[in-house]
Amino acid sequence: MTAAEIFDQGYRRFDGERAGIVSSVRSVVWYTTKSMLGIGRKGRHKVFPVIIAMIAFLPTVIIFGIVALFGDVSNGIRPDYYEFLGPSESFGFLIFAHFLYAVAVAPEAIVRDRRDGMVALYMSTPLTRWTYLIAKTVAVAGTMAIVVLGPALLLLLGYTIQGQGPDGFGDWFLVFAKLLLGGLIIVITYCGVSLGISSLTDRRAFASVAVLLVLLGGSIVAGTLVEELEMSSKYLVFDPLGSPFESAIRLFGDTSNGPAGAVSDLSVTVGVIGWILAGFGVLVGRYRKLSVI
Amino acid sequence: MTILTTTGLTMQFGSQRALDTVSIEVPNGVTGLVGANGAGKTTLMSVALGLRAPTTGTVTVLGLDPGRDARELRARVGYGPERNVLPEDMPAFDFVKHLAEVRGMPRAEARGRASDVLWLVGLGEERFRPIGTMSTGQRQRVKLAQAIAADPSLVLLDEPTDGLDPVQRDEMLALIKQISRDYQIDVLLSSHLLEEVERVCDSIVALDAGRLVVQGPLETLVGDTQTVVVELVEIDDRPGSVDAVEARLSAAGLNVRRELSQLRVTGDDRRTTLDTIRDAVAAERARLRRIEVGRRSLEDLFIEVPA
Repeated sequence: MTAAEIFDQGYRRFDGERAGIVSSVRSVVWYTTKSMLGIGRKGRHKVFPVIIAMIAFLPTVIIFGIVALFGDVSNGIRPDYYEFLGPSESFGFLIFAHFLYAVAVAPEAIVRDRRDGMVALYMSTPLTRWTYLIAKTVAVAGTMAIVVLGPALLLLLGYTIQGQGPDGFGDWFLVFAKLLLGGLIIVITYCGVSLGISSLTDRRAFASVAVLLVLLGGSIVAGTLVEELEMSSKYLVFDPLGSPFESAIRLFGDTSNGPAGAVSDLSVTVGVIGWILAGFGVLVGRYRKLSVI
Repeated sequence: MTILTTTGLTMQFGSQRALDTVSIEVPNGVTGLVGANGAGKTTLMSVALGLRAPTTGTVTVLGLDPGRDARELRARVGYGPERNVLPEDMPAFDFVKHLAEVRGMPRAEARGRASDVLWLVGLGEERFRPIGTMSTGQRQRVKLAQAIAADPSLVLLDEPTDGLDPVQRDEMLALIKQISRDYQIDVLLSSHLLEEVERVCDSIVALDAGRLVVQGPLETLVGDTQTVVVELVEIDDRPGSVDAVEARLSAAGLNVRRELSQLRVTGDDRRTTLDTIRDAVAAERARLRRIEVGRRSLEDLFIEVPA
């Protein structure tokens, strides 16, 4: 019989191999994701994530259930699959979930670090400003992708189970890929706008109001220019809320029914790229000049 | 070995010069970076971390160029900022573990080290408490813990005793000394409190308005001097005894400076000076209130050098 021994090394020097920058980025992504979703934080930090999850997934699951139980719910008329991303009467609630995420949850990713001074600590690690921003973008885009793509793929699955999905594996995969790409366009656009605006303030409430004003205000101004003042429909590319959805619809070879349908594919594409570049441009410009210590 | 070297380091912010042709060599051990607020201490640290490029001059930290080798350098350097940078609702353990991971510790290792380092700084029992519920002293310990969790070769601590009461300050200084002595982690400690630097540091770098005031091992800069301070009491039955002692000491070839009943006596050899004082006091039957070897403090140094 050998004697048992409690062996507590305590704090000691480390002579193993250190993990690389990818590990650092992964840690920031996970920490940011938890922070945004309120995981391990007080109840009030969980309010918006829970509301958004309910808006995005509860109706989706109900629709999925109805489709699964009753089969053909649209008298043999197959849906336009891009509608699963939100731009439709049936699934319009999804747009509200995306919008609420960009306004109420995404700003937390970077505002909290500057408010707490964590940026200074991160910058004293192997992270650079750019790897830090990549980590933050991945965290925001990753969680937003769940909100945008989760319901879309669930609906595609529901309709496919009931034989109302695309015909054949090839078509199905094509629709799946288009949904994925369309969803990513929406995610990247909202993510860029939200992070860009949030980088300008250390107060989350201010950031949320500013994102709301830009997304909603931009949409209202563009709509007013075109519909009330009867200016060229090209001005709808300045609508940050609607442009990414219009872009997703174009991926399916369709256009929306309103005035946005008259805008050329090129203009829509330029509009979306413009919003993405503007958002991330502000973000990068702000952090390039940010004094951390 | 030198852990940090600067040559002609200048940092200009618009019209303000935060560092002015500073050339220093920081050796192993605990080095105090002292100076008043605005002296350039934090700027020097940010340059050492590669967060600012110097306007002119060169910097080498642990043999690396902070501008060119920033990532490699920062994996080997811990930093404890002056600002309160702790996320309020995060448990201390999660915070330290997260930063250890970001500084390059493998995930499993980071978990173990976070626990170990929090025990080391005296927060073992408190490690799962949210940081927002901790006292100022505990928060400073958490900052120290995150700075050393990833086993750095060098730790930069910016005002680590800020906001601490005397007992907490003693404990923090003892911890800093311990991590240097027991784990051979070099420390660059920024502080404007000269007394605490004198207690814990092996060497100092003193800055004033961006300029280097003095640098070197503490033992050569402060400590006992050749001056002996003698305080006498003038009593009724021995009038003029202080004058008489002063005269005897001067006659013995010692340099005597008088301030009321206090004599500051300086000679070439301290022991001979003490013997001469003893003899003079005995011969004049003067009454001695106090006799002590003069000591130059860091504060004296600060006053002397710019002058």
